Amino acid sequence: MTMQHSVSTDLGESIAVSALPSKALQLAFSLFLGAVILYGIGFIETSTVHNAAHDMRHSQGFPCH
Amino acid sequence: MLFRRIVLYALLVGASAGLLLTVVQLWQVIPIIHSAERFEGEKVPAGVHGHVGHQHAEHEHSAGAWEPAAGAERTGFTVMSNVLMAVGFALVLLPVMLVSSKTGGESKVNWSKGLFWGAAGYAVFYLAPSLGLPPEVPGAVAAPLEARQLWWLFAVTCTAAGLAGVAFGKTPWRWAALGLLVLPHIVGAPRPLTAAFSGHPAAVTAELARLAEQFIGATAVANGVLWLTLGLASIWAVRRIGSVST
Repeated sequence: MTMQHSVSTDLGESIAVSALPSKALQLAFSLFLGAVILYGIGFIETSTVHNAAHDMRHSQGFPCH
Repeated sequence: MLFRRIVLYALLVGASAGLLLTVVQLWQVIPIIHSAERFEGEKVPAGVHGHVGHQHAEHEHSAGAWEPAAGAERTGFTVMSNVLMAVGFALVLLPVMLVSSKTGGESKVNWSKGLFWGAAGYAVFYLAPSLGLPPEVPGAVAAPLEARQLWWLFAVTCTAAGLAGVAFGKTPWRWAALGLLVLPHIVGAPRPLTAAFSGHPAAVTAELARLAEQFIGATAVANGVLWLTLGLASIWAVRRIGSVST
């Protein structure tokens, strides 16, 4: 379903009448990707990640230690 | 493809906001972190305060774990973390702004909207969590990490939902969403069992308390710059990405 929509958008946005669900999905996936990045940089407790992101976490008020 | 455009602009917006944030951090935030870390070796032996042992009382890094070397390497990782974090925020902000601008048409996409979104991000991701869990200097005693992370998420979610309800709700009932803004603070953030700097000599405790106070002001400014940049740069990105309506 999604594949079909992306093919039609490549040909031109105006003819992609049924592309709305696909765009909603793309918006939702952008948001999800952002949440995953924020979880990784702000919340993962593994020492290496924690130590690398340490000063940023303190600065931005992410709970640290 | 919409997703590709959003990611491209999130990278540009995040890189500019993250780099600007680093400049502001180097002015006040980072020097305060370094000052607080100098006191970490001066604690009273742990046996005296055995009852706080489970509380992550110290700014411990696991023995032998990798950490960036002081100086350029540490700053480099902070720059990278800042940019990644800002890209993450941009990826969350851009889809929400695109959907919101879709309903209002082109006239709604202007610079004052950028200020509005920046202020909303600041309230959701900095002000609300900081009211319960003020940004801490290294060495401060805090409640268990998992409990604080959960409360942080709870505060962010409630504040975002509350502001969205008031801003976008269509019925008079939308004012009920204001209740969501106070809910996390009624529930209350997890608190440590002891004072923030217990275990240090009195003179060090006083100095750390002073640094902790300065730190709140410094992070408030740094986060303000971050969200101002994110809001304004995201408006520019939304105009470039264009309409998402079909």
